[in-house]
Amino acid sequence: MEALLGGFAVTLSIENLAYCFVGVLLGTVVGILPGLGPLTTIAILLPITFKMDVTSAIIMLSGIYYGVAYGGTVTSVLMRIPGEASSVVTCLDGYEMARKGRAGAALGVAGIGSFVAGTVGVIGISFLSPPLAQLVVKFGPAEYAMLMLAGLSLVTYMSGGSLARALLMAAFGLLLGTIGSDPINMTQRLTFDLLSLGDGINLVPLAIGLFGLSEVLFMARQDPDALKVLPPPSRLLGFMPSREEARRSVAPVGRGTVLGFLVGLLPGGGAVLASFLSYAIERKLSKRPEEFGHGAVEGVAGPESANNAGTAGAFVPLLCMGIPANAITALLLGAFMIHGVTPGPTILERQPEVFWGVVASMYIGNVMLLILNLPLIGLFVRILEVPRAFLAPMILAVCLIGVYSSSGNPADVVLAVVFGFVGYGLRRSGFDLGIVILAYVLGPIFERSVRQALAISDGDPMIFFHSWLSGGFAVLAVAILVAGLWPKRVGQAA
Amino acid sequence: MTGARSATLGLLAVALIGFWQATRLESWSFDGPGAGFFPQLVAGLCIALALVVLVAPGRPGATEAGDTDADGTGAEDADAKDTGAEDTNRADAAVAARSRRTFALYAASFVVLALGAAYAGFALTVIAVAILIVRFAEGRSWFAAIGYGLACALIGLVCFGWLLRVDLPESAIERAFYALVR
Repeated sequence: MEALLGGFAVTLSIENLAYCFVGVLLGTVVGILPGLGPLTTIAILLPITFKMDVTSAIIMLSGIYYGVAYGGTVTSVLMRIPGEASSVVTCLDGYEMARKGRAGAALGVAGIGSFVAGTVGVIGISFLSPPLAQLVVKFGPAEYAMLMLAGLSLVTYMSGGSLARALLMAAFGLLLGTIGSDPINMTQRLTFDLLSLGDGINLVPLAIGLFGLSEVLFMARQDPDALKVLPPPSRLLGFMPSREEARRSVAPVGRGTVLGFLVGLLPGGGAVLASFLSYAIERKLSKRPEEFGHGAVEGVAGPESANNAGTAGAFVPLLCMGIPANAITALLLGAFMIHGVTPGPTILERQPEVFWGVVASMYIGNVMLLILNLPLIGLFVRILEVPRAFLAPMILAVCLIGVYSSSGNPADVVLAVVFGFVGYGLRRSGFDLGIVILAYVLGPIFERSVRQALAISDGDPMIFFHSWLSGGFAVLAVAILVAGLWPKRVGQAA
Repeated sequence: MTGARSATLGLLAVALIGFWQATRLESWSFDGPGAGFFPQLVAGLCIALALVVLVAPGRPGATEAGDTDADGTGAEDADAKDTGAEDTNRADAAVAARSRRTFALYAASFVVLALGAAYAGFALTVIAVAILIVRFAEGRSWFAAIGYGLACALIGLVCFGWLLRVDLPESAIERAFYALVR
């Protein structure tokens, strides 16, 4: 508790409060804009944080991450277009509620549920992280390697597409991560004697290219005609659910919070999976399942709470193990590393002000989001009126600033442009680029762990099974991959 | 050939080149796995998986914004749809041609971005990109294009270059601006 109070002392400085506000505001705006997701935004803003204090940088970037879940709801309810992936399921009942004149109630339930879930999720991080960090301290290279392998397997399994495609993206990300200096003996690898590749491919041009620049190409293909937006309530009271809606929302919010947080802890979990699982559970448990898809308030309350709790839960493996649960937390891991902080079990001892500062900022950020989101929805919706003709050059200018400022090297801009085209081609072909970033960030840590373990055992791969923990993770990784094949075969047989 | 297969062929080529480079590195040394061990393993895996996807492309994966083609088969299928539209209706053909032109101009703005960062500095690059997109790709007025480009360049220089002291690509314009304000 003392450490958490110390975290509040860090966050409540004027500077950090301002960064927290900027983060959640940007997150809300990005969540509202269909297409421009948190990955793109964090990738673009990452280099701008280089000159900031590490705690302030992570507070701002985290604010974007959890702020997006709030903003994404607005377009789901008012336009039936999810601002970002974790709000997809809210379209089903949120938009139907809006069509029946209950847009305010849908947004209100989503906002209050998100606040409750986000706050409970942060309390979960506060209490779960210290004991988990103590457990992870006992991990050796073999345990770490197999844990990462299990995590990567789970991420590929949950990507939603074919397992082979997802694994190909993971292998591609790992391959990109091997370019540059060998992490153990500094030998140059896969550089083709190009000086600009000597330090490897930097995270910033890779992420900005794959997500930021490719997004601009997608914008070029979209229909520029205005989208139809249902009007939000003009008064604050208009966001209040009726007594019946409030009563029906209580249990889904509670279930969504617990489920979302637990799913967020899993590699590959996080907000998207949490929201879909919550929707499925609420429909299953509902006394009126026929209302789902036609404006059931439970279909908004559960998933919206789950996606916020999932976002909070994903911070636990990131902060305590240094293992990102998804592509966004992989970028946050990259941000930590660029600032010279290695998240993991020792962060609580070595940089408690960073850990608890970030955790405390989430409490405050959730309050800010609630205050921002309900009264200002009408204002945020107007952002959707910015035509792409003016949005695209602005994104490109910010991408240029982001990439160039990360290294001062024009070659990185060329690299980002190349990855922009690669990202566009892969995304259009249905490849999940989030896995590339995740594998790229995890690759060097995974390689170091594997090589250290094999060096200790003199090349004997059985070291990965010498303890129940590493053996368990290895078996889990194989089981996940086999499970990934199983349903498709059944489906094909049918 | 579908878009997924074309993309996979590209990945296969990258993996083969990576594997060829990795085989030139030591895979095992006196103190354990060498520098080439992991790249060889990963590139080999990449090749094997690319071959599997080439044979059976499977379902498309989830992306951040759900931006995959609905059928997941990629650009060529979409182009085929455009081609179908050309056959059926001249008006649709004009729309499709305009859409392709818009896309090509957006793509060209990337090239301007890369070249500009190396040779033209921040302000000129941003103005050129704005003109290319606002005027040529979107058909807005010259006044809007140049005005918006100037505004973006000025905001970038003031907010990022001057106030936040972020490194921006430099030319005589940026140096003159910094000499005035710093």
